Amino acid sequence: MGLVVLTGVVAVLYLTSGLRLVGREGSGWRSLDLDALQRRIDAGELQGREADWYHRSTDEETRTIRGLP
Amino acid sequence: MSAVTCELCPRACVIPEGGAGDCRVRVNLGGKLRATTYGRPSAIHVDPMEKKPLYHFRPGSPVFSIATAGCNLHCLNCQNWQLSQRGGEDMEQIYRVDPPELIEVARREGCESIAYTYSDPVVFYEYVYDSSELARAAGISNVFITAAYINRKPLRRLCRVLDAANVDLKAFDDGFYRRVNGGTLQPVLDALVTMREEGLWIEITNLLIPTFNDDPAMIRALALWVRDELGEDTPLHFSRFHPQYRMRNLPPTSGRILDRARKEATDAGLRYVYVGNVLGHEGGSTYCPTDGTLLIGRAGFWITENNLTADGRCPTCEEKIPGVWQ
Repeated sequence: MGLVVLTGVVAVLYLTSGLRLVGREGSGWRSLDLDALQRRIDAGELQGREADWYHRSTDEETRTIRGLP
Repeated sequence: MSAVTCELCPRACVIPEGGAGDCRVRVNLGGKLRATTYGRPSAIHVDPMEKKPLYHFRPGSPVFSIATAGCNLHCLNCQNWQLSQRGGEDMEQIYRVDPPELIEVARREGCESIAYTYSDPVVFYEYVYDSSELARAAGISNVFITAAYINRKPLRRLCRVLDAANVDLKAFDDGFYRRVNGGTLQPVLDALVTMREEGLWIEITNLLIPTFNDDPAMIRALALWVRDELGEDTPLHFSRFHPQYRMRNLPPTSGRILDRARKEATDAGLRYVYVGNVLGHEGGSTYCPTDGTLLIGRAGFWITENNLTADGRCPTCEEKIPGVWQ
């Protein structure tokens, strides 16, 4: 009986962690290893080319940001 | 804090300074959005056009194919996840190929087309645009292999320098997009209509994942939408799923499901319906929709015979077959 309950708990934890993982996808922005990025830009391996399609966020948009870096 | 809002795709990521967009490769540095993988692909290959798959666009020709890291979707079944689900700074291999060099190398490799492919070229938009502009001026075609999760305005601008696209329409179901791809359906449909309006040659791929998007009613709805919104001559490729990434618990798509899907789409009125990722399947070849003549025979990505006339007609009934044949 204990083994059945344990299996159930593990299954629920596995499924909910999977759902949390999927839920996190597409949440608006991601943190990244800025030092690594800057090193590779400085070495010419990546670029700092300005993108074409963006604007400075409005106050209203900025307020939607969660979990600042 | 100087946040920026990306306008490229429907996610509309609001990115704080020092953060990246959901795609991982568009980064806010000092209050400006930077395309960090511009001119820095991590995958370069010469492929046959059939691998894209584009069956009605320069068949049998080699296409210089590139991709950078990053993607704005997160498909559980992604076949290129080591490339698409990583940022540029995470990649072991990065090539320095700015647009002028890209054109030069493509030409040196004997390619008359460049494909922006593998991950999703939407996220390296500026690189695609600048390269395509140069390529067009040099007489090289540009093909865009994409899930088309992109806003209409940037897409319309990009279409001016593209020649063809294969769009991965993942399912005709918004719930599927949310669960499996981390996206939504409507922007993809809007993008397809925009591509058609802009005169791009379009083919569609629908990867059939057992029990997820292989329901005949869904396939019929998808085919009817394609017929009504894009036209009956739009090629539709049903592709076989292989278990990978986070979907290794499912079997490969059976031949029966692929055949059933092909029949549904043909019955719905589409004239060029293909089966892909199945070596030697008769659904990999092109037939005249009027008299059934074999026009282009294929085995996998290779052309075994090409019976089209020089001006792209059926040799038997002389029907004009839609596509770009030269």
